[in-house]
Amino acid sequence: MRKILSGPGLLVLALLFAATAVAGDEGGGKKLDGKQLFKERCKTCHGADAPAGEYTPMFLIQEQWTKFFAEDYAATHKGLTVSATDTTKVLDAITPEMLEAIRAFCHEGAADSEHPMTCG
Amino acid sequence: MKHAIILLAVLAVAGPSRAGDPPVSTHQEYFEHYEGTATCLGCHQEEAESFFHSQHYQWRGETPDLVNGEGRRLGKLNTMNDFCTSPGANWIGNVTNSDGAVLAQGCSKCHAGLGKRPEPVLSREQLENIDCLICHASGYRRDLYQDAAGEAVWKPILWRNQPGLDSVAKRISLPKREMCLRCHAGAGGGQNYKRGDIEYALAGCDRDYDVHMGSDGQDMACIDCHTGADHRVRGRGADLSGTDVPGPRLACAECHDEAPHAEPVLDAHARRVACETCHIPTFARTDPTDMVRDWSTPQRHEAANKFSATITLEKDVVPAYAWWNGKSRLQPLGEPVRVEKDGTVGIMLPQGSRKDRGARIYPFKLHRGRLPVLADERWLVPIAVEEFFADGDIDKAVREGGHDAYGREAIDYEWVDVKRYMGIYHGVRPVEHALQCLDCHGEGGRLDWAALGYGEDPVRKRLK
Repeated sequence: MRKILSGPGLLVLALLFAATAVAGDEGGGKKLDGKQLFKERCKTCHGADAPAGEYTPMFLIQEQWTKFFAEDYAATHKGLTVSATDTTKVLDAITPEMLEAIRAFCHEGAADSEHPMTCG
Repeated sequence: MKHAIILLAVLAVAGPSRAGDPPVSTHQEYFEHYEGTATCLGCHQEEAESFFHSQHYQWRGETPDLVNGEGRRLGKLNTMNDFCTSPGANWIGNVTNSDGAVLAQGCSKCHAGLGKRPEPVLSREQLENIDCLICHASGYRRDLYQDAAGEAVWKPILWRNQPGLDSVAKRISLPKREMCLRCHAGAGGGQNYKRGDIEYALAGCDRDYDVHMGSDGQDMACIDCHTGADHRVRGRGADLSGTDVPGPRLACAECHDEAPHAEPVLDAHARRVACETCHIPTFARTDPTDMVRDWSTPQRHEAANKFSATITLEKDVVPAYAWWNGKSRLQPLGEPVRVEKDGTVGIMLPQGSRKDRGARIYPFKLHRGRLPVLADERWLVPIAVEEFFADGDIDKAVREGGHDAYGREAIDYEWVDVKRYMGIYHGVRPVEHALQCLDCHGEGGRLDWAALGYGEDPVRKRLK
């Protein structure tokens, strides 16, 4: 059984978190769309058969998502850039608000939630 | 009393079954990795064997409450219903539309097994087919996959995430409301389509919605009423063929007094009128329920890119009322249909009458439909509905269903109108919402007195 969110695959995951704003403004007011963020930043490289491994909200349980965002996300993404051409640090590109929207989406669609989600 | 002791003993281990509780890892120390049902069998062989014989696994059982059971073991596996007709040709498999969207996965989606059909003879293979987690693990979800041999099997959606699967598999408890509702509220093709009075809303409702299950009421779990031992569950209702626990019927009077009202006239009513009749004024209060399913007229759903029978949904439905003495009459497969006075075939009919002192007036969901019968033998024909959802070819679906049920290569068939009475027992409301005298005895009251054998309202007759 593979490890959850560790190893080289994390580099690819990190690259997914590009700097583009999603679902309206980031300056407060509108609630960010976690599903859209996940789809645009994560799903492109974590679809079926992706080298980095497939991830959707329902691949982990709520407890695992909670641990990942609280303990693992920053450490595993430290130093990674958005892409080969965009040297913005992933940790800078993803605002706390965006990260919270993604976390909430993953938590609500986790495998042990009432409605597990695949993120389309 | 024995049941109560067993229940309390298990609760002491498993903790209370209440909606909204955080998951509790009751089996943390019992095993390291969940490797399928074999892991459970390591300690629970006896429980698995008892479950194997239950109706929840066999989908058939003894039929002491059918007037025409004739000693047969019957249930949804070998009878026909007026929703998706029969598991026969519809057991398992993903059916997709031209967009690749999954339209149906088969009746086994709600069988507490991992994909194999239940066999009457116990074997290790059958025991390992039992899916303990679907009823006992909080947060467990499964989906349909192909195994190495290409067979469709139900597997946990966490099958590639062993730490997550282990965590869920260790959260074992008696079934909570939401676990029961996964299947019992979603049956028939949509939320609340089949039963009408078993809604997802019951998982987290208030007392006004249901005095028993409301979190500010008694906050009861399903199994607080549907008690039992050895995985046999009481409370067959009026339209199940098999009876899991033969003997006295599950009754309100097991907890409530036989004469609980302040007004003697109401206690007098209770001798011939079931509690549910007054205390459940309507059903399908949140999600609409399927009241008519006509398979003779396929309906195209453009947005979903699929076909269905023509289904009439209704919400906040006033029940139909009929006498019931606890027995029912089934229309079996392979027997000429019995046509009632109104020209319909009764798929399941409650027995009893005004003259039957063991009968009381009960509320029912009266489900109507249109189903195929063989033109010559007049036998009901199950429909292979799964592929129909994608291609809309009802003729092909009937012929395939007929072949599966009766082994006939070619059939001639006709369409008949059918009906089924389904008891209404859930959604008991606070007393202030119970029916009042004039709801039945007023002008245009809800009871059909003639159909109940009275000729006219007995109160109004007395007043004349």
